[in-house]
Amino acid sequence: MRNIGVFVCWCGLNISRTVDIKRVVEETSSHPQVICSTDYKYLCSEPGQKLIKEIVKEKGLEGYVIAACSPGMHETTFRELASRCEINPYLCEMANIREQCSWVHEDREEATGKAIKLVNMAIEKVLHNEPLYPESFPLNKRAMVIGAGVAGMQAALDIADAGYEVLLVEKRPFIGGHMTQLSETFPTLDCAQCILTPKTAEVARHPRITLMPYSEVEEVKGYVGNFEAVIRRKATFVDWNKCTGCAICIEKCPKKIYPEFECGLKEGKSIDMAFPQAVPYKVFINKESCIFLNQGKCGVCAKLCPEEAIDFQQQDQLVKEKIGAIIVATGYDLIDKSELAEFGYGKYKDVIDGMQFERINSSSGPFSGVIRRPSDGKIPKEIVFIQCAGSRDREKGKPYCSKICCMYTAKQARLYKHKVPDGQVYVFYMDIRAGGKGYEEFIYRSVEESGMLYLRGQVSRVFEEDGKLIVWGMDTLSGKKIEINADMVVLASAIVPSNGVKELANILKITTDEHGFIQEAHPKLKPIECMTRGVYLAGCGHAPKDIAESVAQGSATASKVFSLFSRNSVLAEPTVSIVNKDECSGCLSCETVCPYQAIEKENYRGKVIAKVNSALCQGCGSCTVACRSGAIDLRGYTNQQIMAELEALLWK
Amino acid sequence: MEIVAFCCQWCSYAGADLAGTSRLKYPANIRIIKIPCSSRINPTFIMRALSKGVDGVMVAGCHPGDCHYSTGNYFTRRRLMVLKRLLEFSGINPERLQLYWISAAEGGKFAESVKDIISKLEKIQDKPFPKNPESSP
Amino acid sequence: MHNQSQSFRDSTISTARELEIELEELPDWYCCGAVYPLRSEDLISLLSPTRNLMGAKKEGKELVTLCSACYQVLKRTNYLILNDADKREKLNNYLEEKYDGSTKVLHFLEVIRKDVGWEELKSKVKTSLTGLKAAPYYGCLLLRPQKELVFDHPENPTIFENFLQSLGCDIVDFPYKTECCGAYLGITEEKVINSAVLKIIQGANKRGIEVLITSCPLCLYNLEAGQKELMKSGHISKPVPVLYFTQLLALALGLGVDVCHFEEHQINPLPVLERLK
Repeated sequence: MRNIGVFVCWCGLNISRTVDIKRVVEETSSHPQVICSTDYKYLCSEPGQKLIKEIVKEKGLEGYVIAACSPGMHETTFRELASRCEINPYLCEMANIREQCSWVHEDREEATGKAIKLVNMAIEKVLHNEPLYPESFPLNKRAMVIGAGVAGMQAALDIADAGYEVLLVEKRPFIGGHMTQLSETFPTLDCAQCILTPKTAEVARHPRITLMPYSEVEEVKGYVGNFEAVIRRKATFVDWNKCTGCAICIEKCPKKIYPEFECGLKEGKSIDMAFPQAVPYKVFINKESCIFLNQGKCGVCAKLCPEEAIDFQQQDQLVKEKIGAIIVATGYDLIDKSELAEFGYGKYKDVIDGMQFERINSSSGPFSGVIRRPSDGKIPKEIVFIQCAGSRDREKGKPYCSKICCMYTAKQARLYKHKVPDGQVYVFYMDIRAGGKGYEEFIYRSVEESGMLYLRGQVSRVFEEDGKLIVWGMDTLSGKKIEINADMVVLASAIVPSNGVKELANILKITTDEHGFIQEAHPKLKPIECMTRGVYLAGCGHAPKDIAESVAQGSATASKVFSLFSRNSVLAEPTVSIVNKDECSGCLSCETVCPYQAIEKENYRGKVIAKVNSALCQGCGSCTVACRSGAIDLRGYTNQQIMAELEALLWK
Repeated sequence: MEIVAFCCQWCSYAGADLAGTSRLKYPANIRIIKIPCSSRINPTFIMRALSKGVDGVMVAGCHPGDCHYSTGNYFTRRRLMVLKRLLEFSGINPERLQLYWISAAEGGKFAESVKDIISKLEKIQDKPFPKNPESSP
Repeated sequence: MHNQSQSFRDSTISTARELEIELEELPDWYCCGAVYPLRSEDLISLLSPTRNLMGAKKEGKELVTLCSACYQVLKRTNYLILNDADKREKLNNYLEEKYDGSTKVLHFLEVIRKDVGWEELKSKVKTSLTGLKAAPYYGCLLLRPQKELVFDHPENPTIFENFLQSLGCDIVDFPYKTECCGAYLGITEEKVINSAVLKIIQGANKRGIEVLITSCPLCLYNLEAGQKELMKSGHISKPVPVLYFTQLLALALGLGVDVCHFEEHQINPLPVLERLK
């Protein structure tokens, strides 16, 4: 038996308007274990907390109930207060009489009756609470960053600069992400390569960054501070310790392919380097197209390589790594071609997406930076940009805004005008969304200086006729149908999460939203944390965003890792499952329902029984229901506690 | 009429809070018990509640696929399906148990669900078990 | 179909027989109403399609349609009954027996794809249509709304192309294939039809298309009537005959011109088809 107190909060008028506070205090004080029941205007305020502290001391309370707002709001406040009052924080419970009572009911009588019941339920729960103490676990101060785009690189650099080891895993054979493909960046028109290469070089030579290009995470076990990852290092068929990047092999390779990096616009070879500034500066063999790997003949590269670096026997390798924190920076892809059939995307060569335009505009691209159209290499004189190609389109299942398209379309249109001054630009847009430093000004300058025609409306169809692309659209401002005979059409295709994110999310036990983007822990207050502790989120894997934002998020995740690594151990929530060893029959039904593989086996008095790894357990309680003998219970939400709440509810 | 609602703390409890923050109105005869996940609900809780005279039990969890604990609510769904048959077998109208998926962003849906379960309970002709005879501790 | 469109009817019946597809006329059928009501509360208009769907259920068969409009009305009605419990109940109140939406509605093209297959169809062709520059004209009723009809990609459908390919035709990329023919505006606003048809036919002429095929009687009527007007006013010089897909199929299967009833057409397709013999 325990002496407990009840504190009822007015919350100004918020609660007291519909709930008769006096009656709640009176009714609850009649409970035999409640030795004091009182009220105050704002319990969460400084004087309110002081009042509680004084009463606890004076009456010698061993636990208390706060009848106030939602525990989501102030549970932490009052539990910390409990610690200061030398009461175990888990002997404090809240009765939610604001969000779930005074705010949703109008009848004072009913609301008061309900409030009394809610407080009674909380009293019964506290009476059955046990003091709980968080366990602490050792911490491995090494981070893994998944994705070496600009966000991932920034995170890796910041963490490494702070003195911690970083493992940087990238699925492509080079680092830098999509930014390596861009020509220039908005709103400053900086050359993307020029600002990125110093960073990629720094990542490559940083003593505390271990680079793992052409690798993918296959499995992650463990918990915050103690993850264990299995990473597949895909075979490049080139010994990168020997390769010097001399490129003789590339020159002599007879097999031509269209690599992904150039978006199908420029020829490459089966053995190749993605681009001239690639980091690492090494070649790799494309497994699907290599003649030797598929037909057993050729091997020209192996014969010519002065370093004898070609190794056709190379196999994928599985590497195990131990880390303490994970940053997910998986980036984006563009919407599938088949989704944009009305624009003839994928059907007509001169209908291209924004990324292809970047390659065309790039000096290392297919036309060495001269704007030509892919079909016949002619310089397009009439060019149509279509914004929101797939984005903000419920029918395509992408109701969200891809965020960067307004800006990069303006940028591309402007760069086009720089190179083709006599060309005419048409831009179809829904709205211009230029929220960002210097963005709005950039758009205006583009429109005013370059004489581009911005047409507010959507395009219904693009098709080929007489060697031209006919664009049918609508200008909703003038209400006129518009037909343009264009030479080239550029689509600002919707941004989608990069391929394989769903699988990775499953591996990391984090959630994705309805569009496949990774879900943050809280949209406002925890925008870079994932639902799993110790896993953080940066860049476009979370939602479309521009370079500056991705970099900022990269740094932000790094700072989260610092605060985690600044401690020598991690504390775990004590509200986890616990096995009653004598009652457990060892059937391990609990093991099958546990989503975290937290159930382990243990030998106890000659039998195998279940044991909860309290570091892995997240406290969902599913196992407690699966247990046939009722041997598992969930701390903080025990069967007894819930039953006690139920009983209290039925009192008259 | 007295209804118990079991709400998971991540989605539906937060949804109920949102209903409050949005000042939506719903009947006052619902009592919410917070649990970490809908899969924490032991069928005995529901049986106990109904056998002690509660008129209805509302179970609310995250939408399937969105469970905070990845798979918890799938278990809930299956368990409660079986439980409904047990209720029927025990002579309790299975309609007295209702399952809803309410996300943290669906305050409106929470309020609607309360109204929905009440309208369903009103249609039920047979009587619940008599109320718990012992009153107050 | 018995009165206005013997061409569609007879070509279908004979080709189905040839392809060993068993078709049976639904006993006691009603007109589907031709237009799916735009008002959501207009349930009375849905009664006759519902009766047809129920009739098929009683027979225990799939309900096959030829006409795009019937397809649209029947399939959408069925979708509504399946997915809207409230409307289902209301509709059922008018019916003698309960209907639950279990009948499967198929277009004849889908039946060919499902029961015969494009490869098999190719092998059954007796008179290959090689060299005939044909393009499909889907119209709108077959494809939209996609969520309810689930027929083909609404922007880039290919089922007709696959069909034509099996018959040996030269398929021409025809971007106007999903454009509007003007639909019922033909009754009140002939001008709209004429301008819509003009675009479509000019597009066809530019691409050297010799024949357009469709499954929609309204599209066929509008395209033909529009062309006649446009010929008169001198806007087009070379008309493009429009055929039902079953007519072309009948020819390819060697069933002769009799089942095609070309005399029903306002633009005689025979000069174009003559060349094939």
